[in-house]
Amino acid sequence: MSGYGGFALRRAGQAVVVVLLTYVFTFWVISVLPGDPVTTTLRNPQNGFTEEEIARIVSYYGLDRPVLVQLWESLSRFVTGDLGVSLRSNRSVADMIGEVLPSTLVLAAASLTIAVVLSFAIAFGVHYLPRPFSTALRSVPSLFLSVPGFLVGLLLIQVFSFGLGLFRAIDTDGPVATFFAALTLGIWVSAQIAEVLIANLDHEAAQEYAGVARSRGLGRLRMLLKHLLKPSSLPVVTVLALMIGEVLGGAVITEAVFGRTGIGNLVERSVASQDLPVLQAVVTLAAVVFVVVNLLADLVYPLLDPRVTLQARPEVGANA
Amino acid sequence: MTLTAVTATEAPVPARVRRTWRVPPTVVLSFLVVALVVGWSVAPGVFSGQDPVNGVPADLFAPPSAAHWFGTDHLGRDEFARVVHGTASSVSSALVAVLIGLVVGGLIGLLSGFLGGLVDTVLARFVDVLLAIPSFLLAVVVVSALGFQTINAAIATGVSAVAVFARVLRSEVLKARSAVFVEASLVLGGSRAHVLLRHVLPNASRSVLQLAVLQFGLSILVIASLAFLGYGDPPPASDWGLLISAGREYPLAPWLIYAPALVTIVTVLSVNRISRWLRKTD
Repeated sequence: MSGYGGFALRRAGQAVVVVLLTYVFTFWVISVLPGDPVTTTLRNPQNGFTEEEIARIVSYYGLDRPVLVQLWESLSRFVTGDLGVSLRSNRSVADMIGEVLPSTLVLAAASLTIAVVLSFAIAFGVHYLPRPFSTALRSVPSLFLSVPGFLVGLLLIQVFSFGLGLFRAIDTDGPVATFFAALTLGIWVSAQIAEVLIANLDHEAAQEYAGVARSRGLGRLRMLLKHLLKPSSLPVVTVLALMIGEVLGGAVITEAVFGRTGIGNLVERSVASQDLPVLQAVVTLAAVVFVVVNLLADLVYPLLDPRVTLQARPEVGANA
Repeated sequence: MTLTAVTATEAPVPARVRRTWRVPPTVVLSFLVVALVVGWSVAPGVFSGQDPVNGVPADLFAPPSAAHWFGTDHLGRDEFARVVHGTASSVSSALVAVLIGLVVGGLIGLLSGFLGGLVDTVLARFVDVLLAIPSFLLAVVVVSALGFQTINAAIATGVSAVAVFARVLRSEVLKARSAVFVEASLVLGGSRAHVLLRHVLPNASRSVLQLAVLQFGLSILVIASLAFLGYGDPPPASDWGLLISAGREYPLAPWLIYAPALVTIVTVLSVNRISRWLRKTD
């Protein structure tokens, strides 16, 4: 068990380092920005900042000091949990994120659920249905992966909102609208899970134990449920953790198409208005979520699958 | 398309060779699609004689017909001409993205795999950072830092692909380094550069090629998404994503969405099919 403790500590340490480095990296990318968007934004008469407020914000961010000093100060604020103040609205970034976070969390949770259900249905169909259907289903994931996410959303709106009138495109936070927004994201994610799942099922079905079970006269369904499913679906935990990032990135598109409020919409607005502190905070937050979820997946995995040794991280789709 | 010619010959071919060169029809079709798209991007004028920028006001919102295959838009511009002329930008920027990912990511992977030790640790953390930021979010941040242009969208897409290439190349290098023939080459006095060029790169090329093709398809989608959000060149540029985005405003002319969407899907589907085939024949 001390082996596991050491492994957990090492991985947790790595995770912290990655989060801090992500903050530095994002800061660097954003400060590459040509021109001086901060003062342009602040001096823009539309924003109505008084000279005092400008002076306060400039000194708060230390914009009059060298970049490295700025980085250090912003990083030390970040470590204490202070995400800074928006350049646009003069509000705390943490408040702005907290306001829209629930909407995106609902979207993300719904889309991951849909993705899991959909991918297991596809993989099940591939392995259980007779010939022509199973081969057709086999190409479904690659079809899903070839369709741009925004297009799926547009088509769903076209068919189910304009065509069948199931939800109103304006009422963006209703349960039906949320379902279709989640479906838009979930379809893309399900394809990636289904690919791994199908490959794993293929791999397991070719193992000797599967052959033995078949020769004993085990039916297809029992074979699938009792023997193949468990070893095949464990790696899905890892894939699902990696997909968290895709969902957060995809939220930008999905929320734009469906006109939802949320983190993605906040990103879009901050990009349009060059609200750098917000952008920086969202990117770092996304990285934190990704790192934490993957850390948990890595820590839980050896407990779920006793075959995994702690030396190496389980390779995703290694037998694909 | 010499590949089809090979399968068509009736002359006795050794079984092994025949198996290698038997190309499934869908792959042939995919290559044809890619060839057509490359044709569109190299010489759009050959494939569409109509003006993509200046429309005929009398013809606005004409549905698809023999004269206008994809119909016309709100200015009476031929949508097919706009799609064809937008190809160069959409496809070549995807190519730029793949090249950036391949060169930068490849270099990182080679260095960390080959040098190991501290270099490996430092580069691995850097790659972890790139992986930790959701790739589309990373692309959005980079393009907003560089400015809203299609070329910058391409660079941003390339940056978001660096991590994947770095990982694959690193593992390929490690795989090759532990191979007996590489050990033999080193024992025989082969320099590191010699081993790299003669053994490691040729062995890695297949999986890198397959990844590059896959990333090419993905990049088309990412760049289309960035263009859709308005982070690419502004109109009258006619990137595929921009065309789809513009088509949204005219729900009574659905062909303005469907035509560029279909072209995008078929292209990416073909590219992905080729990538899959490359992986299978490995």
